[in-house]
Amino acid sequence: MEEKITLLKEKVVAKMKEVRTTADVENIRVEYLGKKGEVIEILKNLKNVEASKRKEVGEKANILRVEIVKMIEDKKLELKEKEYEEQINNSEKIDITVPVQDKIGSLHPITIVQKELEDIFTGMGFTVEDGNEVETEYNNFEAVNVPKYHPARDMQDTFWLENGELLKTQTSAAQNKIMLKYGAPLKAIFPGRCFRNEALDASHENTFFQMEGMMIDKNVSISNLIYFMKTLLSEIFKKDIEVRLRPGYFPFVEPGFELDIKCPYCDGKGCKVCKNGSWIELCPCGMIHPNVLKMGGIDPEEYSGFAFGLGLSRLAMMKYNINDLRALNSCDVRILKQMNIK
Amino acid sequence: MYISINWIKDFVDLDGIDVEKLIYKFTMSTAEVEGITKYGQNINGVIVAQILSVDEVENSKKLHKLMVDTGKEKLQVICGAPNVKVGAKVAFAQVGSTVDGQKIGQATLAGQVSNGMCLSEKELGVSDDHSGIIILDDDAKLGEDIKNIIPVDDVIYEVDNKSLTNRPDLWGHYGIAREIATITGRKLKPLDIEDLKMYNELEKLSIGVEVDDDNNPLCLRYSAMRVENVTKKQASWKMRVRLYYCGMRSINLLADMTNYIMLELGQPMHAFDEKIVNSVNVRTLKEDSKFTTLDGQERNLDKGTLMICHEDEPVAIAGVMGGLDSEITDSTTSLFLESANFDAVAIRKTASKLDLRTDAAARYEKTLDPELTELAIARFIKVLREEDSGIKVTSAFSDVYISKYPHITIHIDKDYIDRSIGKELSMDEITTTLTNLEYDIKVDGKNITIEVPTFRATKDVSQKADIIEEIARIHGYDNIEPKTNLWKISPVPKDPVRELEYASKELLATKYGMSEIHSYVWYNTELNQELGIKVRDNLKITNGIVKLDNTLRREMAPTMLYAINKNLKYMPECKVFEVARTFDYEFDGKDAKEYKVLGIGMASTKQSEKELVYEAKSAVDSIIKINKNMDVRYENIEKVENNWMHPVNSFSIIVNNTNLGYISIVHPKIKDAINSKSAIVVVELRIDLLGEMAKTDISYKEISKYQNVTFDLSLIVSKDTKYSEIEDVIKSANMEYLISYNLIDIYENAEKLKDKKTVTIRFTIGSYTNTLTKEQIDGQREKVLAALKANNMNINE
Repeated sequence: MEEKITLLKEKVVAKMKEVRTTADVENIRVEYLGKKGEVIEILKNLKNVEASKRKEVGEKANILRVEIVKMIEDKKLELKEKEYEEQINNSEKIDITVPVQDKIGSLHPITIVQKELEDIFTGMGFTVEDGNEVETEYNNFEAVNVPKYHPARDMQDTFWLENGELLKTQTSAAQNKIMLKYGAPLKAIFPGRCFRNEALDASHENTFFQMEGMMIDKNVSISNLIYFMKTLLSEIFKKDIEVRLRPGYFPFVEPGFELDIKCPYCDGKGCKVCKNGSWIELCPCGMIHPNVLKMGGIDPEEYSGFAFGLGLSRLAMMKYNINDLRALNSCDVRILKQMNIK
Repeated sequence: MYISINWIKDFVDLDGIDVEKLIYKFTMSTAEVEGITKYGQNINGVIVAQILSVDEVENSKKLHKLMVDTGKEKLQVICGAPNVKVGAKVAFAQVGSTVDGQKIGQATLAGQVSNGMCLSEKELGVSDDHSGIIILDDDAKLGEDIKNIIPVDDVIYEVDNKSLTNRPDLWGHYGIAREIATITGRKLKPLDIEDLKMYNELEKLSIGVEVDDDNNPLCLRYSAMRVENVTKKQASWKMRVRLYYCGMRSINLLADMTNYIMLELGQPMHAFDEKIVNSVNVRTLKEDSKFTTLDGQERNLDKGTLMICHEDEPVAIAGVMGGLDSEITDSTTSLFLESANFDAVAIRKTASKLDLRTDAAARYEKTLDPELTELAIARFIKVLREEDSGIKVTSAFSDVYISKYPHITIHIDKDYIDRSIGKELSMDEITTTLTNLEYDIKVDGKNITIEVPTFRATKDVSQKADIIEEIARIHGYDNIEPKTNLWKISPVPKDPVRELEYASKELLATKYGMSEIHSYVWYNTELNQELGIKVRDNLKITNGIVKLDNTLRREMAPTMLYAINKNLKYMPECKVFEVARTFDYEFDGKDAKEYKVLGIGMASTKQSEKELVYEAKSAVDSIIKINKNMDVRYENIEKVENNWMHPVNSFSIIVNNTNLGYISIVHPKIKDAINSKSAIVVVELRIDLLGEMAKTDISYKEISKYQNVTFDLSLIVSKDTKYSEIEDVIKSANMEYLISYNLIDIYENAEKLKDKKTVTIRFTIGSYTNTLTKEQIDGQREKVLAALKANNMNINE
């Protein structure tokens, strides 16, 4: 009997070696461990074994059973491994370089730049306000210290409307309303579309975007303005920016400045963007004119402040290296699609 | 405006000062400089020579063979100028000299050797005259460098006129010199002027000034003087070259004189031929009339235009331009010299109306100082005498001074100055700056009392802020250190419309692959016609450059269609959007209403119209669901208002019973005009209205512990039954265990179902208190079936 068990084991080991599929394994299981399997038969028939050897035979048969179970499990695992291997080897090789349909559209460069600036300003505690596009003559001119027939009106060719109003020529048109709405102290920016009645060329558009800001508080000085503008522009260009102020004339500020920045693209060494001038005229600004404060209901003896204008169209052009202003209003998706989302 | 450094040197000693650095300082302290031109650098070695003989050149009608004496040698020169003559002294460019940057060498013309050339004024760069060669005065010394006779060398810089808008005092060299003296810390020399008191005993000229309005006279001052015995016809080289370098043409001595004084002092002057105008009346036109200005143009003048008249005959448009008939000519020997001050607004109106922006008008409209008129006459006579020593002044200084500007006194204290600038300056620096700029100041401790000079007091300087500017700019803004201020920062409330706008844009670009565009706020009339788009009348621009495109948009859709029209030429599919303003002008009221609207345009040759409509719907639903957590109702528009909208497939977008816009297939007629192969859909959505709507709160519902049950119903309904109608019935059935229902499928089959369709809906039911029993489940099913059946919606049994 013991011999039979040993033989059986040899047989199983030999058969296991021949196994190719899980079905073969199953056959072996049925043959030896099934209801009528040879090993099971032995165990079933233990009662027929002489009593003296019964225990020993029983133990051996049991050990064989456990061994076969282990062999089967090992074999199954081995086969499964092989199967995966085959599956992997036979799998389709995907060509990752095949272009897939691009469902990403694009935001307008002005939107991207405007959002970026608004985020910077709101982070600095500025309120964002929307102005109108159709404005009264009073808000666009008189309220910012440009009376009728003032020569400064020459600087801005105006689209006049049949109801006597106009398409706003500057975001400053919102200054008066905002001062009256919030009073002092005040920190606000007001981006928007502006219009000038001019012929189009690479650097002139009749429709463009500005962003204007005002900051009114007690004891605001020229030195504060320089600090603020330097901080702001460094944030916008994401590097330390050198600024310089020159006298500039804008009726709603006194003193008025032209703010130049040291070209951030070449650090002032001279390049295409700064036209080798190393400084870029970027932003008109100044201390808000006492008359403008007064018209806005703010006492210029108690409060002072500064205002500044940023050409959004200009900044977008600089950011994306666009050299023709007309591209922005072209509606040409071939151009705009290049801008992506951020 | 062009500024001549030579001219400035008449008034400020610039010895030892680097001119380019000076101009940079001027930019940083006074006004923007647009460019610098260095004249005379390209001219070298040109000398005085004399023509000894003039001979014909064989085979040439034009050329002459000259023998020229340079004082050192006699040379043969071939010259084409018509005005060559024996004995004439000329500007001679010898071999080896430089003219206009070109080296002059020996040349052969018509077979003849030419050793240099005689120059015209144009070749020397001192005028545009190329009609003949320069003939110098007889006393010119042979061999002398031409630059000692004609002041060719000069540096001219151009100041941006716009940046001088508020500075009437800087519209002449003397004012600029005052700035430069202040910037450099040098002394401004007083003007050399004629003492007019000398002539007080002479006869006064007759000047009449009509005054309509005491408070706002159109002529503030009229000064005049008569000068006779002017015999010289041409101005000196110095005057002519300066005028030319500063952008004017030399005409004759008297015309040049008026221009010269204007460029020097900023005061426009006019010289009448005294034979024609010996007295003046300044008055407005009583009716519209015609008038011929000295440029020979007949112009239509409006009633009310201010005119200078001789007796009753207009001889000049005040402050703008003189008349042809009274102009000084080459034969004029006596003149009636006008130096006047007119109302800035009146001059500006007239000049704009006539589109005649003369140098005089440009200055008057800046509001000139009326005190200047007398100074200008005194200076005029002094300079004229230098040009022509034989002149005789034959009248007293004649002056009608109607209105003076109020004297301005400003009180300021040092603390205020320091606070405003953000830097402590010394009292000495403050007073020096103000004194150099000719303010009269009195200092009492920290208080300064400032008297504003008349030439700054017309409009420019009137309050403390103006004084701050003077001090700060001369100190140099570069020398003010940036300093922070402890401003309070408080959180900023978010603007819901702005947030919605950005969120919508980002969603459309990222999820729906659309491109944002920017367009114009007016309709494109030509394109409207081409595409057959009809727009309703709206607010119009009255003065646009493109006359046709004057109507502001009331709707966004046409703009979207323009963009599609443009882009479909390059691509099979185009999906664009813009958030922008539309304008609603009802003509009864004055103000135009302004809306913020999202426009979407979708065009595709790959998707059907239906697919595009559903994509648009998905976009609108997403915007509203994500940002406001609200559901949208769509309704068929019974009668479309715009001709680009599809009469059947146009749907209004309704949220909270508010109409927010529409989704529409584009009318086939217009679609065909754009692209017949493409499906086109447009959307308009009122972002402003939607933005203001409050977001619906999200209320969380616990998930039931008990298993839900689902069952499907396939309903056979008529083809035009809307899904929403089925929904209405489901809702009306009041199923107490209903958790949700979803559309699974809509099946249409023309053959099998004819005018019907099958709509399959999956119901999910469940309870929070128990697992539904069979009876409960069947009960729910029966309930909804009964309701559906009652509305003619049956299941396939």
